[in-house]
Amino acid sequence: MSRKVETVLFFAATQQFVAQTCWRPLADVYRSRDGWVVKFELPGVGREDVQVTIQGCRLVVSGIRRDWILEQGCAYHAMEIPYGRFERTIELPCGMEPQRFQLEFRDGLLLVRVATEGEQR
Amino acid sequence: MNEQETGTQTLPLLPLKSTVLFPYLLMPLSVGRKASLAAVAAALAAEEKEIVVVAQKDPGVEEPGQDDLYTIGTKAVVRKMQRPNEHTMELLVLGLERVAIIRVETGEPYQRARVRPLPLPEDTSPELEALRRALIDLAGRAVALAQPQAPPDLSQMLLGTEDPLRLCFLMASMFSLDPEKEQALLETPSRLEALRLMHSYLSHEVQVLELRTKIAADARNEMSKEQREYLLRQQLRAIQQELGEKNPEQADVEMLRERLEKAELPEEVRKEAERELGRLERLPSASPEHNVTRSWIELVLELPWNALTEDQLDIARARSILDDDHFGLKEVKERILEHLAVLQRNPGAKAPILCFVGPPGVGKTSLGQSIARSLGRKFERMSLGGMHDEAELRGHRRTYIGAMVGRVIQAIRRAGAKNPLLMLDEVDKLGRDFRGDPASALLEILDPEQNRTFRDNYLDLPFDLSKVFFITTANSLDTIPRPLLDRMEILRLRGYSEEEKLEIARRYLIPRQYRETNLAAEQCEFTEDALRHMIGRYTREAGVRQLERTIGRVARKVVLRLAEGQAEKVVVRPEDLADILGPELFFPEKMRRELAPGVATGLAWTEAGGDVLYVEAILLPGGKGLTLTGQLGEVMQESVKAAQSYVWSHADEFGINRESFKDYGIHIHVPAGAIPKDGPSAGVTAATALASAYSRTPARGDTAMTGEITLSGLVLPIGGVKEKVLAARRAGIRRVVLPKANEKDLREVPEEVRREMEFVFAERIEDVLAAAVPGLARPHAAQPAA
Repeated sequence: MSRKVETVLFFAATQQFVAQTCWRPLADVYRSRDGWVVKFELPGVGREDVQVTIQGCRLVVSGIRRDWILEQGCAYHAMEIPYGRFERTIELPCGMEPQRFQLEFRDGLLLVRVATEGEQR
Repeated sequence: MNEQETGTQTLPLLPLKSTVLFPYLLMPLSVGRKASLAAVAAALAAEEKEIVVVAQKDPGVEEPGQDDLYTIGTKAVVRKMQRPNEHTMELLVLGLERVAIIRVETGEPYQRARVRPLPLPEDTSPELEALRRALIDLAGRAVALAQPQAPPDLSQMLLGTEDPLRLCFLMASMFSLDPEKEQALLETPSRLEALRLMHSYLSHEVQVLELRTKIAADARNEMSKEQREYLLRQQLRAIQQELGEKNPEQADVEMLRERLEKAELPEEVRKEAERELGRLERLPSASPEHNVTRSWIELVLELPWNALTEDQLDIARARSILDDDHFGLKEVKERILEHLAVLQRNPGAKAPILCFVGPPGVGKTSLGQSIARSLGRKFERMSLGGMHDEAELRGHRRTYIGAMVGRVIQAIRRAGAKNPLLMLDEVDKLGRDFRGDPASALLEILDPEQNRTFRDNYLDLPFDLSKVFFITTANSLDTIPRPLLDRMEILRLRGYSEEEKLEIARRYLIPRQYRETNLAAEQCEFTEDALRHMIGRYTREAGVRQLERTIGRVARKVVLRLAEGQAEKVVVRPEDLADILGPELFFPEKMRRELAPGVATGLAWTEAGGDVLYVEAILLPGGKGLTLTGQLGEVMQESVKAAQSYVWSHADEFGINRESFKDYGIHIHVPAGAIPKDGPSAGVTAATALASAYSRTPARGDTAMTGEITLSGLVLPIGGVKEKVLAARRAGIRRVVLPKANEKDLREVPEEVRREMEFVFAERIEDVLAAAVPGLARPHAAQPAA
């Protein structure tokens, strides 16, 4: 029993425990002059596979990272990049303008720029 | 069929040996089987990296087919993978959803499974919420028990898991459930059911954990208690040293030494005791020998080596004490007073060793007590009945575990003087077996020449028993070994006569029963006739125990009547006794006025006193020889045969025609047929009965007889004259034929009885016949009785 509990504790500690069926990309959040910039770590994800939605204070980035066969006759020896569906929700302190955001892919990172209502005024 | 519509999928299959993967949970897995390795590789090659994980029913199966797998499994995605070597793979898989396996497709190099998602219906109910909370509670306890130092956020995490199904799965993976239980949880049809299952599993787990914790705690407690005691002792020692005190063992030895110095001990004993005390000092107190030695020294210090109680040698006082305590027993009292007188003249005289022999209840033991009282000696008594171990008398050697000093020395120690009166009860009931023969040990104890230096095995020092006044008691002398008997002076206590019993009842028994029942003498009175009736018809005994109980019963009945409101004094008369005590229990032989020819009146002695018995003889025409009935013992049978031979051989002299009885047998019976009888004293009675039968002349009904006969016709003396005479009188017989040699014994018979009765003393059988069968021809040789 205790071995199992330890395993569980380990996962709890590394925050991987409350596993969603999707994986969560890491994100940085910046405060900019006219709003927010949120940077997501999404290498290997095609632009067409990413959806961004804003509902009130929530910025939701979801999508899928597809794996592809590098070349014929090669098989995994180790794997730790999460593939498949991902989803990340960032809660920001105040309301945003749903229409006004920009996406930018740079070197495997997705940048989302959001203008806030307050800054707009 | 369209896969998208039905939601069915075909995915690589990964069988698990002894665990179950739940949805929403991550699980590390180690894969080693070839087929499994291939299945994982295939899953990873696909874009979705999905795989179906199913538990095996039997973990022992290496290549499971469809039948070896459960039908419900989990669709999972492989999150991480690495290969530490060629043959194994380590995975981290994430359960996605529950699936039903429709079909297993066997193939090389791995199996695939066709699966259909099996979501649980969304149900909500108050019970669901209640169970969820109970479960969280229970899990908190379980975690606390299993790992007291578990971080608090674990229960926080459980609390934060809102979905009850997820909560169940989470707990199932935390606590080591059996694979069967885990599978059952995975297969539950509803959330509610899942919660219930989990709750029952977890309750069990908690119980097991609590028990384990308790056991561990108990063990810990025990340990710390011992340590604590040790520490306290160390401290105590330190404190004592600081205060300049000695430790308790040392103080103990000092105390013993002090007592030893004060005690008056013979030189030899003192030397031995000092030696042992020195040994005790060196022995650690934890050693078992410490205690043995210590109790030995205490024994030596407590024994009355020189302590004597002073004898009260006032003969008059002694006589009055003896007379107050016991009625009758004249002879015994006389003997005791004689000893007393000797002690008065010569205080250094050896104490006598007496043996009281008599039937139960005649007061042997209490007589011992009053002797001690009259002498002013300590009284100690021990029962030897059933004792069969010599060591009980003489002690065990100290080398044995649990060794004890013998009973004799124990009694002396209790008495606190070396000249107590030591009563050894039931000396005739000593046992004897392979452990030894206590009677032989008694030989030494009771021998005045040897018991001056009696050595108890435990004490192992000579102790002087020669000043001890020994009294033994026995019911019969037959079972006492001869050498032992030889060392004692026998005093017979006969049974009490009716007159004596009457007196004892009046003086001792009735007052005692009044005291017991708190009756006043004005409230109740026993008439003399009633007492006689109770003695004769309700009791048959040598002593007075039964009589005392009977009086007690009457007294209680009287108390009952008084309690029920009877005001006047209750007078107990013979006619009331049937009401109080029930029908009479004993019927003494009554005198038969007219005797048929062939019947003669005899007298018998029993432990309970004397008795009248009739000897009946009849001729059996056409019969042969002599038939004897009535439970006659061997001696009695021989005595009857001798009587017959004598009468037959002297038939002519008695005017009996031998020819006419040639073809007759003879039958002799002695009622009551159920009571065993023995002894030679019925010889004359048998001869009388036979003579009467042959001559067809009746014997006198008012004459009883007793005496042993010889073939030459002599009448020999018998015992128990007093009892027999009293029995004859009781039955209403006023004429008794006794052997001439017994004339002197009549002194024992109370004066008033003697005056009432006529005695005939016989030397030869002819004298008896002349007195008892008046119709018989007088042989010329015979002389009439004096």
